[in-house]
Amino acid sequence: MAPVLPLVLPLQPRIRLAQGLWLLSWLLALAGGLTLLYSGHLQVQLWHLSTFLAPSCPFAALPRVALAAGAVALGTGLVGAGTSRASLDAAQYPPWRKVLGPLLVVGTAGGGGLLVLALGLALALPGSLDTGLEEGLGTALVHYKDTEVPGHCHAKRLLDELQLRHHCCGRHGYKDWFGVQWVSSRYLDPNDQDVVDRIQSNVEGLYLIDGVPFSCCNPHSPRPCLQSRLSDPHAHPLFDPRQPNLNLWAQGCHGVLLGHLQGLASTLGSMLAVTFLLQTLVLLGLRYLQTALEGLGGVIDGEGETQGYLFPSGLKDMLQTAWRQGGVAHRPAPEETPPEEAPPKEGPPEA
Amino acid sequence: MALLKVKFDQKKRVKLAQGLWLMNWLSVLAGIVVFSLGLFLKIELRKRSDVMNNSESHFVPNSLIGMGVLSCVFNSLAGKICYDALDPSKYAKWKPWLKSYLVVCVLFNIVLFLVALCCFLMRGSLESTLAQGLKNGMKYYRDTDTPGRCFMKKTIDLLQIEFKCCGNNGFRDWFEIQWISNRYLDFSSKEVKDRIKSNVDGRYLVDGVPFSCCNPNSPRPCIQYQLTNNSAHYSYDHQTEELNLWVRGCRAALLNYYGSLMNSMGAVTLLVWLFEVSITIGLRYLHTALEGVSNPEDLECESEGWLLEKSVSETWKAFLESLKKLGKSNQVEAEGADTGQAPEAG
Repeated sequence: MAPVLPLVLPLQPRIRLAQGLWLLSWLLALAGGLTLLYSGHLQVQLWHLSTFLAPSCPFAALPRVALAAGAVALGTGLVGAGTSRASLDAAQYPPWRKVLGPLLVVGTAGGGGLLVLALGLALALPGSLDTGLEEGLGTALVHYKDTEVPGHCHAKRLLDELQLRHHCCGRHGYKDWFGVQWVSSRYLDPNDQDVVDRIQSNVEGLYLIDGVPFSCCNPHSPRPCLQSRLSDPHAHPLFDPRQPNLNLWAQGCHGVLLGHLQGLASTLGSMLAVTFLLQTLVLLGLRYLQTALEGLGGVIDGEGETQGYLFPSGLKDMLQTAWRQGGVAHRPAPEETPPEEAPPKEGPPEA
Repeated sequence: MALLKVKFDQKKRVKLAQGLWLMNWLSVLAGIVVFSLGLFLKIELRKRSDVMNNSESHFVPNSLIGMGVLSCVFNSLAGKICYDALDPSKYAKWKPWLKSYLVVCVLFNIVLFLVALCCFLMRGSLESTLAQGLKNGMKYYRDTDTPGRCFMKKTIDLLQIEFKCCGNNGFRDWFEIQWISNRYLDFSSKEVKDRIKSNVDGRYLVDGVPFSCCNPNSPRPCIQYQLTNNSAHYSYDHQTEELNLWVRGCRAALLNYYGSLMNSMGAVTLLVWLFEVSITIGLRYLHTALEGVSNPEDLECESEGWLLEKSVSETWKAFLESLKKLGKSNQVEAEGADTGQAPEAG
């Protein structure tokens, strides 16, 4: 029945541990708070871009999970700070003693699980953004003209504002606009021969032109914006469509949005990683502090040496005890859930 | 008869000093807020100095910055004084300076109030600089290859997109200037030649606007050219069409923006001013209460604090008398021994 990873803790190292833990807990609370704020920011960004992201894209789950993980980390940090502060004062410790046990369970299971999930999402989800954006932007482009169709009437305004704000044009380039009808049929003169020719020139009967909306225009261009007859080299003086020029935004909105959202997700991922590291350290420290103080029987200032440990006995012994105590309500639970996180540490001591 | 007399025992004095200490440190924070507001306004004005002809007055942001710094300095000093006020030995070294310090505080409060008023009044001068600056900006819109003005097109375009406005007073301002550079005009075309001949200055004027005037809320793709020609576009009536372009002029839009910015800054400065006035009043009470302690050894005794020793009119008369005395004594010194007798003041 040897304790797992025991550590001898006389008075001075205990005090040092409590002080270091206090500092770490505040750092954890700070990291948790920042993660909370940043995932809120990501959520707001996604809400603004919701028209351009297909509803089936699971990316929207990331900020919500990160929000929950940040909140739990913040709570763990605050309680950890309170406990380590209280452990230095014999009068204040007893109420915290009762809180510490459940906190460690919740912190490890809930917080650790959430953080791992959020990290996993932050790494895996940006891949699904590609297809989500492709679909979403394609739909927006097709519905640009449907300003009187309920459900799609905002597509024009939103797409124009997107192109103006993010400095992009079309999905992958301005030529995407040549393939969709972006002028509503309500504003097409049915008696105009040019219109009739264009509609009859393709199978679907769409009015396709080699022009782009005004929001593709680049203000940095030295000449007033050329939006129409872009494929015709003779339509505008001094304008050769084969030459790269500043007339329109060169990037496609797909690339711009992808980069933007992936950047946000990777920053969130690194914040989550730091929070995870801090939370592990704080929970480990709290466990050692708890077991060391339990060894003293709750007398904080005792000069005696005690041992802090992670678990009172090895995994096999704990499971056997839990099996024997099988009928007792929920007692085994605290001993069973920590092993989910601890197995890599338990391996070497047991072997 | 003293003005607004209040009795102070030891406990009340201590509470007053502690409360004032806290208020002074809060006021330092408020001073930092005023400083950052001034800095923000200065940066915002600088950002758009291109369309203000580079002649906009920076008086308001500069004075806000100055007031913020002064407020921090005075209030931290007052905080130190209040902290020392409870210790007679430390307070003794501040005692001779306190009266003049209070006068300086009163002057500072008056200046702060004037600055807060200025925040509300600067709108008028901004309007004239904006009108002139925007007119010039639009005039130089086409000069994208003239050094010194090549950025004007980009500035005006980004301004119209960001502030959702068009032209100086409205989009028709663009009809009166040539905003398409000659380099991009095909002079062999008859249409171009006709337009140039149609006006005295030989300018190529169109009834069209740049793309940045377009309103994304319009249900139809933006119509930029031939705006007054109904037959050029299907189902278009230029007199009833409202959503196609931005209706507001950029002068009104910018004025609105800066006006609301300065109004809110003025409101914040007024609140800070009220706070400062209350601190000055509290400091005066503390000063007179501590002066009134008749026996410096017995700290527990009661004393009285007041704002002015005599009533307002008596104080004002005494102030004028002392000014007269000052003036007359200077006169006496200037005349030297010739006068012989120094006239006694009444």
